[in-house]
Amino acid sequence: MTPSEISLFKEKVISESKSTKTIKSDFVQYKHLDFLANDVKTSGKMVFKAPNQVKWEYTNPYKYSVVFKEDQLLINDGGTKSKVDIGNSKLFKKLNELIVNSVKGNMFSDSDFEVSFLKSPKYNKAVFLPKDKKIAEYIASFELLFNKNDAQVFEVKMIEPSKDFTQIIFSKRVLNSAIDDSVFSN
Amino acid sequence: MIRFLAISLFFILTSCSLQTTEGLRQTELLLDEISNPYFENQSIDYVYKAKIEVYNNNLGGILIIKKTSPKNHRIVMTTEFGGKLLDLEFDGNSFTKNFVIEELDRKFILNVLKANFELLLIDKAVVVDAYESDIHRVFKTQNDKRFNFYFIKKSSKKLEKIVNTSKTKEKVEINFSSSDGEIAEGISIVYSNIKLKIDLEKFKEDAN
Repeated sequence: MTPSEISLFKEKVISESKSTKTIKSDFVQYKHLDFLANDVKTSGKMVFKAPNQVKWEYTNPYKYSVVFKEDQLLINDGGTKSKVDIGNSKLFKKLNELIVNSVKGNMFSDSDFEVSFLKSPKYNKAVFLPKDKKIAEYIASFELLFNKNDAQVFEVKMIEPSKDFTQIIFSKRVLNSAIDDSVFSN
Repeated sequence: MIRFLAISLFFILTSCSLQTTEGLRQTELLLDEISNPYFENQSIDYVYKAKIEVYNNNLGGILIIKKTSPKNHRIVMTTEFGGKLLDLEFDGNSFTKNFVIEELDRKFILNVLKANFELLLIDKAVVVDAYESDIHRVFKTQNDKRFNFYFIKKSSKKLEKIVNTSKTKEKVEINFSSSDGEIAEGISIVYSNIKLKIDLEKFKEDAN
């Protein structure tokens, strides 16, 4: 992308993100490990409500949901409930922030990453490279793919230093429907 | 006095013997080697949802095991979001560490995990003793100072249980549930000496 294309694209993503109060979406997650014959596939639903409430709910092949709430993760693992305090772990906090922010797409102001932009006829792509050495031990790069027309994220890819990756593809996205706060309990 | 000594001796002897072999009859060996079929097929990706209960804390993740060559297994554990927690290679004798997150990279934790995976993945072991009950044939193998008892159900010929023991105490028990005797749909691993329980449930075929 040219500098003017980049600033236009960023503006569009930021303004879309600002007008997005809620998101409901299905997702399919693929874990790629180079020694496996097939990627490990899981799927479920994701719900987001501004400014920072997110629930990821895996429904296939198992039931597992996580609510991100302030400095805590509320986990329901097939009926077994637990809480994880992430306030003390900077790295874990960062990784969770990435997951939350990638839903909105608005990660351009994150000073922990160097961002580059690519375009194709079908989508725009933002590639985030971690500056922090600690984060770089876990993530080589983080990619967000955006629809050309509405600047919504439709795919997230997290690539590890080993080149193995996790890919999340969103579908059936519904914007700004009414979502009750009670959804974000677990 | 003699009666007291006899009772004391009885308690000493029984407290030193393994519960695992109680009620079993010793038999001739029948087999030179015992095999664990559940992780030996190189063309299968063994993918399990893992639930771990350790000292009353609950953890979860995905356990992925693949036999990558006749002797080697690759073991990867990830979070539900896909982030790698550990990545090990087992050659039948020792482990190579490809990646382990800082929080798990402690000698005690890794030793417990390695011993656990070794017990799960060793696919052939020399039989040193054999027993039977009405339901099971039981084969004893030796691994350094520990012993493993393989319980094979007589009627189905499926491996149902492995009990890992020292000379006198049970340490770990692994229970398998399998409909075809080749793939374990459910695996439960319970430790006696530490508060650790691992439940594994295989991903359903249509999900992948």
